[in-house]
Amino acid sequence: MRRYGYALLAGGLFGAGLRLSGMTDTLKVQGFLDLFGAWDPTLAFVMGGAILPMAAAWRVASKLDRSYLDLALPGPATRGIDRNLVLGSVLFGMGWALAGLCPGPALASISFGGSGGLAFLLAMLVGMIVAPSLRRRLDAARPSPRSKMDIRALTPTYAVSPQIDPSDLPAIKAAGFTTVIDNRPDGEIPADLHTPVMQAAAEALGLTFIANPVIGGAMTMENIRMQAEVMANATGPVFAYCASGNRCSVVWAMMNAGEKPTDDLIATPAKFGYNLEPLRGQIDALAAQKR
Amino acid sequence: MMDWFWGLAGGLMIGSAGAVFLLYNGRVMGASGIIGGLVDGSGWGNWAERLTFLAGLIGVPYLLSLLIGGETHLTSNWFVIVLAGLLVGIGTRLANGCTSGHGVCGISRLSWRGIVATLVYVGAGALTMALLRQLFGVI
Repeated sequence: MRRYGYALLAGGLFGAGLRLSGMTDTLKVQGFLDLFGAWDPTLAFVMGGAILPMAAAWRVASKLDRSYLDLALPGPATRGIDRNLVLGSVLFGMGWALAGLCPGPALASISFGGSGGLAFLLAMLVGMIVAPSLRRRLDAARPSPRSKMDIRALTPTYAVSPQIDPSDLPAIKAAGFTTVIDNRPDGEIPADLHTPVMQAAAEALGLTFIANPVIGGAMTMENIRMQAEVMANATGPVFAYCASGNRCSVVWAMMNAGEKPTDDLIATPAKFGYNLEPLRGQIDALAAQKR
Repeated sequence: MMDWFWGLAGGLMIGSAGAVFLLYNGRVMGASGIIGGLVDGSGWGNWAERLTFLAGLIGVPYLLSLLIGGETHLTSNWFVIVLAGLLVGIGTRLANGCTSGHGVCGISRLSWRGIVATLVYVGAGALTMALLRQLFGVI
């Protein structure tokens, strides 16, 4: 329940800040963008004022494993700059200048923005509803540059790979794999590569799809147990992916600790550039536990 | 004349709101993502958190408007309003963020995506104003 209290608090503070700073007044926003007219610098003060506490919050968050309410924190900002980011920002900037409203102030001012404010909000929501299909069309028009698939077989029944996208799945099936494991938390990848999307695409091809998200540097025993269980139940070779394939390799080494010599568990991933040497002590310790 | 003071004060409140949402709820405070996930279905997994956030975002300015009023000075040109709304809706979801997500939350963690997005939308906005207001005088 406290989670909703804090969400209400954050939303309320956000709304109050928008109203008091003047950002619900479209003249102030347009005034900031009107470099060649009567330039109004207020928005720069708002941005600067907002970035200060937020920068402090990111520093605090970087030292936490979980939020104060024991909820997962956002993953690292690993996504690169892509065409959708630039194209979307161009469209957004044009609309922002035309009316002087962006999503936050459009919502915050809805109680006093009159019928014009309501019309803007409704048009914005329509835009948000059509955006995903527009994005799919844009992405389909050009092959996704995000796929970095490279099948790296650690054993005849287990291969790892950097991030894949749905268009890679037919090739994975054709290569004889029957199970795909996603070792990447959704928080670190774009929505169109999230578990539900990948799972639906994989299952449509008759592949078994398992999400076993491993947080970089914070692998759990549950991660290792689950990966082993999937391997044991698989009807054929297993294909695992994460950002680079490193985490999939580490889970593999951990689940085979004691079953195979530690030297082999380090040497095999090393052939593909994954350095597990720093984990030698942990692999040995796990092997000792199993004996 | 007091604009910069209220801008700074309001900005600090916006940043504090983002700090609360990050450190307690574990989430990046982006207005377009919070509402966008509700309308396109991608965020139904935590709809109640999104709705309570929106209740605060809409309710508190409403209460403030009872005390100090509120005036958006929005254009009365319906064509401009609808076109602007569509562009903002499509653009922010395509770019995965707006002024709060990319601007406030992205720049403050020195994310390249946030910095580039902000430069691009401010640039596109300034160009739009230069062309449509200063050159052609249509908005």
